[in-house]
Amino acid sequence: MRNIWDDFQASLFLFYKYVTRGNKGTTILTVLVATLAFIQINLISGILSGAVGLIYEQTKNNYVGNIVIQPGKDQWGNKEEYIKQVDLMQRKINAIPGIIGCSSHYATGSVIEYDPDKTGKDIRTISWPVKSIDPDDEKRISELHNYMLAGQYLDESDRDQIIMGREVSGGYGASLEVQSLKGVNIGDEVTVFYHNGVTRKYTVKGIYATVFPLADMSVFVTHKEMESVLGIRDRASEIIIRTDEAHPESYYIQELRKAGVELQDIRPWQDFIGLVLGIVQSFDIIKRIILSIGLIVAGVTIFIVIFIAVISRRKQIGIMKAIGMKEGIIVASYIMLAIFYAVIGIGVGIAVIEFVATPYFIAHPLSFPMGKVSLLIVRSEFVTSIVCMIIVSAIAGFIPSWRVSRENIIKAIWG
Amino acid sequence: MIKVTDLVKTYPGKVPVHALKGVSFEIPSGQFVAVMGPSGSGKSTLLHQLALLDDPTSGRILLDGVDISGLSQRKSSDFRLRHLGYVFQEYALIPELNAIENAFLPLMLLGMKRKEFIRISTELMGKVGLSNRLHHLISELSGGEQQRVAIARALVNRSKILFADEPCANLDTENKGIVLRLLRKLCNDLGQTIIMVTHEPEQREFADRVLWFRDGLLVKEETIDKAVQEEAFHNGFRTDISSDPDYLKDSGQA
Repeated sequence: MRNIWDDFQASLFLFYKYVTRGNKGTTILTVLVATLAFIQINLISGILSGAVGLIYEQTKNNYVGNIVIQPGKDQWGNKEEYIKQVDLMQRKINAIPGIIGCSSHYATGSVIEYDPDKTGKDIRTISWPVKSIDPDDEKRISELHNYMLAGQYLDESDRDQIIMGREVSGGYGASLEVQSLKGVNIGDEVTVFYHNGVTRKYTVKGIYATVFPLADMSVFVTHKEMESVLGIRDRASEIIIRTDEAHPESYYIQELRKAGVELQDIRPWQDFIGLVLGIVQSFDIIKRIILSIGLIVAGVTIFIVIFIAVISRRKQIGIMKAIGMKEGIIVASYIMLAIFYAVIGIGVGIAVIEFVATPYFIAHPLSFPMGKVSLLIVRSEFVTSIVCMIIVSAIAGFIPSWRVSRENIIKAIWG
Repeated sequence: MIKVTDLVKTYPGKVPVHALKGVSFEIPSGQFVAVMGPSGSGKSTLLHQLALLDDPTSGRILLDGVDISGLSQRKSSDFRLRHLGYVFQEYALIPELNAIENAFLPLMLLGMKRKEFIRISTELMGKVGLSNRLHHLISELSGGEQQRVAIARALVNRSKILFADEPCANLDTENKGIVLRLLRKLCNDLGQTIIMVTHEPEQREFADRVLWFRDGLLVKEETIDKAVQEEAFHNGFRTDISSDPDYLKDSGQA
């Protein structure tokens, strides 16, 4: 044990001298490359994480909340059409600590028709589900009311009013151009043919745009209006719940079960991002590629620096061995040097990310199709990049020094 | 006491090079031996084998009765650190370390306490005349000073044998004198065993004994007269000896 400690001290001594008395220019240049590699890894990962985080936030804020309750199965195992006794259930849900609010929705299939000049020559129709909301409840679980592009949000008493997302209206900068009414404006009249045969005419009261395509493809009327269309009350197609996120969704799902919401299908928001899951997975792949390239760049640079250092000190290494220095001491001193380059590079990189990049991206977020993306440094990914960079540097320091230190002493000294 | 028996070193290759062809001799402790001979005679190869820097093809090397010719790399390394000192032709110091750091490196490797190795190496640096150059970087020292640092490093572990491979090859006349006198003094005062390879005949006058090599064979042994030694030590070596003596005539190799 004492030998190992003595060897470690000798390696540390050599490493310290290499740093303090070695070529300062080489040290600065190597640290700079390590810094750039680290910033590149974390900056691009941070932007992609920011984009993924935005998708998640948008999903929770404007699409499905944290938890969705859907109808359960009846005694014959068939999925029921509606959740029953919704008022009672909402009271139970709202009583659970940590639940911010809940809002029930009806959702039913329909065909929406828009005749812009009312001549019947240019009728635009889409087959699209219409949802109903209680505007007051909805404001507690969703941010939609803050994203009105034109017109106004629904009021509880509205009966012949409808609001729709930008992508359904087809105007106001809609980007998808699929299944839209191609230019509905505020005050225009649309006709909705519900699947049960009821037809209603509505005036477009508001058009919203969260810039999250999934959320911007919805059409809403009030609960009272929908209940009169369907001829039912105190039921719902789904109940959306927002939590304070102090606990994971699985915790609140358990609490809901305990509170008596037993027969319904309760699912977390993650189950509803199938459409964007591909994007998230692609971003993850890109992040891994960026991490790999960054690590290779940093590793190869440090490898070259250490390689040149040991080649130029080949004779010196031979002499150190000749006086009785163990190979392990020599190798360890170069590994320490490589790790030093990486650690200083990481330190400078962290400072740049913390004090330069993050404030910059907060002030100037990037525009993505789903909204404004800022830098999101995920702690686990950040730590992974640090650990990987140190390991890669240690390997980059080990290989050349190990190869040279294993050379025959006479050959190393005389070349 | 060093006892070498039938030492052979052959470098393999398409045409194997027989650098040592069965060399035997003994060197008592405290003797200053000069190994001489023309280029390619095997004198440096001999030093490498004795200093455990290379493995002999066959033969035995006994140091104080212990066979050191078959040690593993790890044990060789440890043996060199504890018992041997080596001075190279081209100073061979570590440029990132200052003079005293170069000198105390072997003691640090031995795990000695910092205070102790600083004391020992400072004392030794005084003995080689570098008390005022302890904290100078190697690049700030003259060739002679660098070689004296190398000698201090070779002696700092109280080595049983000091090997010196052409230690004056790159020095001017004045510094050659300083280094050779230092080696002679170490032998006289400390009883240090010294084996020095040199191709300059005048340097042999500082030694007690000369081993003459040619073509991988020990061809002649010569004992230096004490009076010649004293003369060289006090008045410097003679520069009028421009070629080696007529040893070949005596050896029957001519």
